[in-house]
Amino acid sequence: MLIHRPDGDVATPPAQRAPSPAVLTGRRIGILDNRKPNADILLEHLADRLSERTGATVVHTATKNAAIPCEDQVLGLLAEEVDVILTGTAD
Amino acid sequence: MNVDSVDDPTSILLQVDDGIDLVDALIEHGWGDGLPVVAPTPERVEAMLAGYPDHDPDEVIAILPPRFGEATRRTLAINAIMAGCRPEHLPVLEAAVRALAHPDLNLRGVNATTHCVAPLVVVHGEVARSAGYHGGLGAFGPCNRANATTGRAVRLVLLHVAGATPGDGDASTQGSPTKYGYCVAENSDASPWPAYPTTVGVEAVSAVTVHCGEAPHNVHDMESDNPARILDKVASAMATTAQNNACISRGEYLVALCPEHAATCAEAGWSRRDVTSYLFEQARLPAAELRRAFALRAWAPWMDRLEDDAPTPMTEHPDNIRVMVVGGPGKHSSVIPSWGMTRSVTLPILSESTRSGTGLEPC
Repeated sequence: MLIHRPDGDVATPPAQRAPSPAVLTGRRIGILDNRKPNADILLEHLADRLSERTGATVVHTATKNAAIPCEDQVLGLLAEEVDVILTGTAD
Repeated sequence: MNVDSVDDPTSILLQVDDGIDLVDALIEHGWGDGLPVVAPTPERVEAMLAGYPDHDPDEVIAILPPRFGEATRRTLAINAIMAGCRPEHLPVLEAAVRALAHPDLNLRGVNATTHCVAPLVVVHGEVARSAGYHGGLGAFGPCNRANATTGRAVRLVLLHVAGATPGDGDASTQGSPTKYGYCVAENSDASPWPAYPTTVGVEAVSAVTVHCGEAPHNVHDMESDNPARILDKVASAMATTAQNNACISRGEYLVALCPEHAATCAEAGWSRRDVTSYLFEQARLPAAELRRAFALRAWAPWMDRLEDDAPTPMTEHPDNIRVMVVGGPGKHSSVIPSWGMTRSVTLPILSESTRSGTGLEPC
């Protein structure tokens, strides 16, 4: 018996992640806190550990609502001021 | 493997071995909802599409996150067949998928959240009658084929095309029975007010509303002969911290009044607007209680300035309370809170099979 696949083709996602830098030394780390409980603690701790291990600098923290896309204004600011962003999804 | 691509992994057709359990075979591919399905054979797909010869079956109707799958009419037909739909249900499914893809609905959030949210499809107007949708006794289930299969088809589209499978694209902590299927018709014949779509500017012969929310929360009132006493109970179901909306002021509430509760309101001279205004005023909790329950809130700025003892509305505007008539005889209504960060979407159904000769054109 032949049946059709139910899933269909995949379109090109509207945005692609930029490649991560091979080396973090000298880079600027930004934190995008999704405001879920304890997200700030986890992300700040992670950023501090990365900074200690690599020589990167934590320069900026911004926040967003976890359920909707980040505001363009916030993304624009981060794009100007940081090289990599630490963030979280969901809870 | 019991299900093999005919030519290559990108083939739209799969060969299924004779005698195998199709459900198990689909599970190997990560497909299906765990229930028996109707095999979407090429013959069945063509038969499903045959009723709409003027429509391109490969037109991309919507792109559905998080997988960014392309929902074409053919893909919808395949999932409709699997769910057990008949051809006359396909236009409703298409309208529902268009609504799901509307930016106001925020499908990516609806699919990805840890909340139990599921899209409720409400069918309005002529197509509800002609295609057999049910808004009367037992409307939420079980036993009506149109309601059950269309609701299920929506879920199959979300699983397969959108990729909202538990653990991958759907993080719902507990899931929900409504994630198997969630579809009713508005009982406009028993409603004392105009059909719901007119309240949101959709003047169409047939329409669909998609409201992403929780399961229905029952409100029963066997005694009251005045609207306020009934609606006080509805308001009490709304005014609780035990719902995702409680900390999100833009959240909506779908209030499905049974015909008898709606009649009590209308006979007292209450319009639908009167009902929503009353609920907006009554469904409140002290700001302090909400602040104590939720350190993280998505409130309108004016709500943050309320004193602790201020009765705080559960939603920031009466228009976020959507009233429809659903059900049959008996005095049970229900409240369906939304997930919060989503807006319900109402769209006309555009199909040759649903156009009438009344001169009314879909918006």
